Amino acid sequence: MKVLVIIPCYNESENICRVVQRLKATCPDVDYLVVNDCSTDDSARILRENGYNYLDLPLNLGIGGGVQSGYLYATAHDYDITVQMDGDGQHDPQYLYDVIRPVAEGRLDMCIGSRFIKKEGFQTSFMRRVGIRFLSFMIRILTGQRVLDVTSGYRACGKRMTALFAQHYAQDYPEPEAIVTAICNGYKVGEVPVVMEERQGGVSSIRAFKSVYYMIKVSLALIIHRLSAIQKGGKG
Amino acid sequence: MSPVFQGLLLVGDLVFLILIFVMVKNGRLSVRFSLPWLGLGAGMLVLAVWPEVAKILRSLVQVEVVSNMVFIMLFCFVLLVLLILCAVVSEYNERLKRLTQVNAMLEHRVRQLEEQLHRTDR
Repeated sequence: MKVLVIIPCYNESENICRVVQRLKATCPDVDYLVVNDCSTDDSARILRENGYNYLDLPLNLGIGGGVQSGYLYATAHDYDITVQMDGDGQHDPQYLYDVIRPVAEGRLDMCIGSRFIKKEGFQTSFMRRVGIRFLSFMIRILTGQRVLDVTSGYRACGKRMTALFAQHYAQDYPEPEAIVTAICNGYKVGEVPVVMEERQGGVSSIRAFKSVYYMIKVSLALIIHRLSAIQKGGKG
Repeated sequence: MSPVFQGLLLVGDLVFLILIFVMVKNGRLSVRFSLPWLGLGAGMLVLAVWPEVAKILRSLVQVEVVSNMVFIMLFCFVLLVLLILCAVVSEYNERLKRLTQVNAMLEHRVRQLEEQLHRTDR
């Protein structure tokens, strides 16, 4: 079974080496693809000099566009399972097989690594947890399914989901939208417990002043996705 | 409407229409995007030549002053154009995203082939 780990990378020169080395050491049998989203720091040089497998986007597309490039690559190279893993070192590769297993066994189409099932490890800031709970509540209202860690970027997708995301994927803050898209298209989505770590260097792309925009944009997108699914006769 | 104002409207409108045609001819405006502006120019021309049309429209929609009705119409037109432009920008954004992604994949392929070639040369 061919597995591709997509690692989006925007200005992660401090972390990217550690992330890739750790992944290669922990899971040597999976392929990886770093998607350099037109970083303005030394990320591209680091990727090139270390001979890593990477895509170099000539324009900054945002996290969604970057990850979608990975899904496109996975589709083009016929991978069975694709896994998203953040480039900031928050996602521990020792949980990779836990995230992959339900998809490989055909129990789920999308499996999300959740930090809120066992509530171990880095639990993010209070305000972010409030936002995540709100989005989780919205997804439950809109789809009827309970997903705790809706913003987790640690997730595995099967072949059909990968093909879908290669065609349709939100450009910024895509994680909650992807869940709604998956559920509304009749795919099985679930979570497994993982332990996440605090980012090991650099700064997060979601700053405080963007939070309000984030919440409004994502909430609106979730509602629109749900309404579109109802119109198309999708799963409700 | 005074004859002077009517004349100014006519001249202004003709200049506007000529400007649109010149921009299309020079390739600075596509035919697709010139259509709403040509429509606006044509509408203004009708109102400038036959001001009675504006009075008939005013009585139809029951607006007190003709100028208010013209301003509302213009405002609605500009809003519509802005909405259309936002839709066009969204469409181009999607195309640009896909172009960027395909470009990156091709660059990756070229890099791989170059590395293969380099290894074969050794």
